[in-house]
This record gives sequence, C-alpha cells and structure tokens, in this order.
Amino acid sequence: MQEEKDNLTNRFCERAAATGAIVERVPRNAEAINAALIRATSEEDVVLISQPGDVDLSLFGPFLKNPKVVADPTREQLATVRTGVTDSFCGVASTGSVCVPILNNLTSAASMLTRRHIVLVDSASIVPRPRDVFSKEYVNGKGLSRSFSFITGPSATADMGPLVIGVHGPQKVHIIVLE
Amino acid sequence: MKSINDYEIKPRDVADKSEAHSIEKAIRLALDVETQALRLNTQTFNRNKYKTVKRLDDYDELKGEARSIKEKSIRELPELIAVLTKKIESRGGKVFLARTGREASEYVRDVCLNHGARLVVKSKSITSEEIGLNHELEKAGVEVAETDLAEFILQVSGEQPSHIVAPAIHRSRETISELFRRSFKMDRALETGEELTEFARLILRNKFLSADVGISGANLIAAEEGTILLVESEGNIRLTTQLPAVHVAVAGVEKIIRSKKDFGVFIELLASSGTGQALTSYTNILEPPLETPILNLNGRDDSKREFHLVLVDNGRMAIRDDEELNEALYCVRCSACMNSCANFQAVGGHAFGGECYTGGIGGAWTLATTGSLAKASFAELCTGCSRCVPNCPVRIDIPRLNSVIKERLIKTAGGPSLQQRFFGHFSELGKLASLVPAAANFATNFPAMRRLMESAAGIDRRRAIPRFAKKTLAKEYEGYRRNKKGGPRSGVSLAKTVLFADVFTNYNNPNVGMAVVRAFDKLGIPIRLSAVLDDGRGLQSQGMLAQAKRRAIRAAQYLSQLIDEGNDVIVAEPSVLSMFRRDYASLLGDAELSGKIELHSFDPIEYLEKLRLDGKLDVIGHLSVSSHADRRIFYHAHCQLKTIGAGSVAAEFFRRLGFNVDVSDVECCGMAGSFGYKKKFYDVSKRVGDDLMGQINKTLSDDRSAILLASGTSCREQIGGGMQKGVLHPIEFLESMLP
Repeated sequence: MQEEKDNLTNRFCERAAATGAIVERVPRNAEAINAALIRATSEEDVVLISQPGDVDLSLFGPFLKNPKVVADPTREQLATVRTGVTDSFCGVASTGSVCVPILNNLTSAASMLTRRHIVLVDSASIVPRPRDVFSKEYVNGKGLSRSFSFITGPSATADMGPLVIGVHGPQKVHIIVLE
Repeated sequence: MKSINDYEIKPRDVADKSEAHSIEKAIRLALDVETQALRLNTQTFNRNKYKTVKRLDDYDELKGEARSIKEKSIRELPELIAVLTKKIESRGGKVFLARTGREASEYVRDVCLNHGARLVVKSKSITSEEIGLNHELEKAGVEVAETDLAEFILQVSGEQPSHIVAPAIHRSRETISELFRRSFKMDRALETGEELTEFARLILRNKFLSADVGISGANLIAAEEGTILLVESEGNIRLTTQLPAVHVAVAGVEKIIRSKKDFGVFIELLASSGTGQALTSYTNILEPPLETPILNLNGRDDSKREFHLVLVDNGRMAIRDDEELNEALYCVRCSACMNSCANFQAVGGHAFGGECYTGGIGGAWTLATTGSLAKASFAELCTGCSRCVPNCPVRIDIPRLNSVIKERLIKTAGGPSLQQRFFGHFSELGKLASLVPAAANFATNFPAMRRLMESAAGIDRRRAIPRFAKKTLAKEYEGYRRNKKGGPRSGVSLAKTVLFADVFTNYNNPNVGMAVVRAFDKLGIPIRLSAVLDDGRGLQSQGMLAQAKRRAIRAAQYLSQLIDEGNDVIVAEPSVLSMFRRDYASLLGDAELSGKIELHSFDPIEYLEKLRLDGKLDVIGHLSVSSHADRRIFYHAHCQLKTIGAGSVAAEFFRRLGFNVDVSDVECCGMAGSFGYKKKFYDVSKRVGDDLMGQINKTLSDDRSAILLASGTSCREQIGGGMQKGVLHPIEFLESMLP
C-alpha cells in the first residue's frame, strides 16, 4: 500500500516536471513548508495567499505571518501582484496536474492573475489518472462536488508560431508536494 | 515570396463555398500562402497525438465509452435539456434555448446591454462564430475583445478560423509579426514568439481588467449537475469566466451529456486527440454562478454573479432526426480528423471548410447549421482516405458523412456529372476497353481526347489515365492454368483461397494479380481467381451511393458463397479490401453479411503473415537468396490499408526477411483514387504528394538501388508520375524472390 502510494507520488513528480512545472518534495510539517515557501518567494515583495481549504491550515501558520504575505489585497495589489500561493485538493499522477478549487476565497485570483503560482499538494491526495477525480472513491468525492481547474504546468500557446510559455495565466508553476 | 498579408484573395471572400469558383480560389490562396504553416502545425499535432495516445493503454475502451455516452446523450437530448435547465435555474442561473443563431446572439446582446456593458471579453467559441455574435454586439456598441491569442490575431487580420482548435494555424510567426507591425503601426516588427505573445498579453490584460461581461463556449455540459467543461492552455478562459461578474456561456445543444461523472473519459481523450498533450494547461470544471469573490477590478460595484447559458439549436435538432448525418452531433471538436487528413494538412480550413466549420467533419456541420448543401460542397475535398476514422475519439465515420453530402449534391444537381460517371463507372469502361485495349489506351491518352476530357469532364490532362492491360487478369489466369498441369495445387491443408478479381487489378494491373497467383502457387497455397466484380468503391467515392450499394450487395453475396465453401478471400487492391473490411458494414446495412466478409478477407502479405503466426508456413524457407541484410526498401502503406489495421504488415514482413525498410510517414499519397485526376484538385493532389516524394528521395539519396513498394494502384500512379523509377506491389516483389 505504502509502496503503491510512493509510486504514485514518484509518477506525479515526474509527469509534473515534464509539463514544465518546478516540483519540490517537502516533509509535511509547518517549519519545512515555511522554509520552502520563503525560498520560493525570495525575489518577491508581495505574495498573495488564499486561505487554504484542503491542506491543514496550521501547516501554513508560520508563513501567514510573513510580512510579504497579503491575505486581504487592495484592487491595485490584485491587478499587479506577481506571485500567488494556493493549496489544491488533489494531484493527478498520469498527467502531473493539480486540482485547484474555485471557492469563496482568493484561490482563483492567486492562481490566474499572477505570473507565478506556488501550489501545495498533499501526496496522500494523488490519484492515478484524470477520470479518478470524478469518482467517489478518491479524495472523498471532492471532485464531484465543486468547481475547480486541473492545472497542468504553466500557461502556454503555440498561436504565435513557436511554443511560448506564459500567456494569460502563470508563466511559472511551482508545486510543493507534501510527504 | 508571397505573403498572406498581401495576397489578392482574402480568406473571408472565399469562405462561402456556395459562391461560384470559391473553392478553386480558396485552394489557390491556401497553396500559395498557407500550406507551409498549415503543414508544420497540423503535422506536429498529429505526430504528438500518436505519441500521446500510445501512452493510454485503454485508448480503445475510452473511445468506445465516449462513443456510447454521446449516443445516449443525443438520444435523450430533449430530456437532458429539461434536466439541465432546472438545475442551472435552481442555482440562480438562467438558461435560454435559442432556436436560431439570431435568437441566440440577440439574447446575448440584451444581457450585455442590460448590464450596461461597454466591453466584453470572449474566449474561443466556434458556436459564437456560427451565430454571428461579434457582429451583433458591435452593432449594439459593445466592444468585443477576443482573448484567445489565435482569435486575437484573426480579429486583427479580419480572417475566419482555419481550424477549430487552433484558428490561426495557417499563419507563421513571420506573417503574424508583419500583420502586427502594420496594424499597430510599429516602427520595428516584433521578432520572436515571446515578444509577440507579450505584446498581445499586455493589450488583453487591460481588457480583462476592465471588461464588464465574459463570454465563453463550452466543451461539454453535464445536465444533472449543471456543470460546464472548458479546456484551454492560455488561461484566458479562467479569466473570462471568473473576473467579470457576468458570465455568458454559448453552446450547441449537442454538448450536453447526462452526468459529470462522464467528464473524465472526455478529458482524457480531448487533449490527447487534438493537440497531442495528455492534458492542456487548464481543464476547468465550472458550476456557475461561481462562488469566487467578485473583484471588481474594472471599477464597478457588482455585488452578485450572473450566469447565462445560451443553448443553440440552429439546425441541430433537425440533423438529429437525419439518420444519415446525425452522427455528426457526436463530435467533440478535438480536431483529430483535420490533423490526420493529408488534404487538410495541405490546404487547411479556408479551402477545406466553410464560414466557421472546417475539415472532414465540417461539411455535415455546415449543412446542419446553414441548411445549405452548396455551402457544404467543400466536402468534395474528402477523398475517403479514411485516416480520420481511427483517430476520431467518438468513432464518427466522417468519410461516410461526406459521401452522403456528395450524394445529396448529385441529387440537387439533377444527376451525376460526366466526371462522376466516368470515375463511378470505371468498371464498365474497363470492360469495354479490355476488348480493344490498344485503341482505348490510345484514345484516353490522345491529346485531343485529353483536351475534351478536361473541358467536358474536368479530368486533368496532366495525369496519365491508367493504362488498360493487353490481357485482363481473367485471361492471363486462364492461360496460366491451362499451361500448368493440375490447376491450383491442392491437397495441401494450408488453406483454401480465392483471389478477388477487382476492377483495377483485372483491367489495369493483371501483373499484380498474377504475382499473387504465382507466389501462392510457389508457396503451396491453392488459389483460384474469382469472377470479375465491381465492389462499389468507384461509385461510392463519387457519392453515387444507391448504385454503389447495389453492386456491393452483389459482390457480397458472391463472396459470402465463396466463404461458405471454405475459402479465404485475398484482395490485392487496398481500397477494395477496405470496402470489404470497413465500408460494407455501413453500406450493406447487414451486420452478419459484412461481418463474415470482414473476417475472411485479407491483403496477400497479411495472409502469409497469418499463416506464419498459425504455424503453417514460413516464407523464409522458400526464398531463393537467404540473406537480404544490405538491401533497402522504401514502403508506402496505403491510407485505407492503415485504417483497417494492415498498414505495417508488409514493412514488418520484409524486415523479418532481413531487409532494411523505410516506411513513409504520410497519411495519404494524395492521389486517393480518382481525386488526383480531377482538374479542380490536381494541384492539391500534387502538393500532398510532395511530402511523400520528399521522403522517397531521402531514401534514394542514401541508396539509389532502394526498392520502392506501394500497395495501392493509385499510390503507385502518384509515385510513378513523380519519379522515374518503377514502383511495385509488395507481392510482386516477393514473387520475384521465390524460385
């Protein structure tokens, strides 16, 4: 069982990296997560964060106190902010996707208006393939009861000829896998 | 070099194919200034698609599931519309069922005006093109910003989409750069893809931040949950549907399925079939009105989210009752049929398409949504090569839809044209010509006659009409058996076979037929020759379906009898084999009969491989030379042979004999039966063929003595016409190696 879980996590990390995301594996504790988020946001002055709904809030505790973090942004900040942090309710191993919910908080803003999206995913929530997200058997059926987006790597286009990374959505996706 | 930015024919001017010479002009436009970008882009999608679906180990089951979900949904559509409406309304959204495109666009206009909208951001939606939405909004003084970068390019250039997934696929980076330089009056043209993207992104970011309303399409809608599926890569759909407080989704009624549980199957198939990605960057599952906070970055004080779902009928419910065409409603708009189509790769959707729907599936859709057969006449660009068929994630028989459109065009024209009769009745022609082959060959290739055929029947004089053999296969076979004692070797328990004497093999290529007979004789497999029969392919390809069916039934009954007598049927001509193995299922409408024929008909090399796998025969032991390690073969598999799953057999066969085999990497040679002979399409056919010629030349430049093999008679014509080197049927080559 544990081995199966590990395989799923390995597969997820491998596929996510292949989509162009940065993937980092971090132990599931507040200090380690804080350190990872500080590293990931070192170049930013303002970081938009949405209240986590699926990853345990206490794990975010130390980082929420970081002076860079804005949890209640002005319109001006929303229109210009470059980096956002959100959680996700599951990962998909076969495609390296994270499922980011659309809730009554800033998750959408932090993941669609920004240039860089840092997203936490619990390794325990990784499912084998996209169709599993629509099954009661996985992640408590959350995929069946809410609006969300499978996010698979950074935004991209081939409309201008060559493949270009970074269009209307984030140019960088940084996935922090909690283990 | 000519550029689309300066070209005298504009795509919009040739979008409506009911106008005289529109298709010829559109082909000229495409071949002159679009082919290069089209090929690069569609072929990249196509290659990636093959790679990606290989990773789906249950690809076939997924397709089967998707197909049955769509079948069920379309069957239950009226009920699903009611269920969906109730669900959306229970959440406070509104549903409007528009009978016509006009009703739909007027409704959206009113939503915008009621909201005091001055600016609308819009994501890609073919349905909104169909209903003329932008025009309606602009007329009412509402600015529309297309936010998908391809649609943004087209808004600047004033062109219609050339592809349903990548609407600006006909444009290269260079032509976009020049378009932007002129339109935005820049001193210096933007060079790289990054620069161009960033330029458009900044313009559109401002639009997003100030838009009053967002308009999207929908990939699928789940009735029971009122959930919308929207697939994208750029992130513009997320912004369009979530930033403005008002979201309008415009979708054809056929997008509705019963339950969200079934989204998973389509999500796994859509991106992999279309662009060849496992998933695109964003797959959005929305249950609007959404609960995400209204940010009012546009300076408004909107406090409540509004959601409108506009369901468009506009001909869909009528086509649902059309038993020959309703399969088109299963389409999930993935674009696989376009990317895998050799003709589409060369001319794109400006020629092979109408005002908004493009490619093989576009004919039925144009007919359904405009009611005009003439507008759908670009369906003639479908050669029936069938490469789209195995690539369609919902298994639509697209060539069949196009045959039906061709048939209806013939009916409205009051009967088949001289050209259609010429190709449709090639078997009668062959019969007559075989009486006096020399005279027939002289006549059909005599300059004055060719001029007449060109002007009267549109048969291009630059093509050589297939030569009729001095002696038909039937006569050759008779002579051969008379001179050889004992007839077909018998008594060997290997297998009992009959070679089907199809029209082309009998009248034009008896040498191929005789190679089968001799090879099988030498290998100890008893083989006889069938009666000469028309399988119906020629008539079907011209759209003369009723006559094709009559001939098919006759041939099928005859074959059925042979099979009952214990025979397997060997077919040298792939287009005929494909009739037996694929087309007869729909043409005959008799599953038992077509199923039996499908099971017992084989390509000759395929049959030898089958005997080997059954442990009955190994050709290696019969060869005159034991090693062929240094010899090179270039093999082009026929399009339809690939579709019926026998495309790689010959290559593997000769590799096992020790040959070094290069295999063509094109979907079709471009000749496609009669297609390449038609004056209207000669240039398309030649351009499609260029791809294959390039690959052959590459092999020949490595090894001038390489052997060229192709299974189809028209493929051999195409290759033979393009190079001065003989091309053999694989069985001819094998026979030459048997002592």
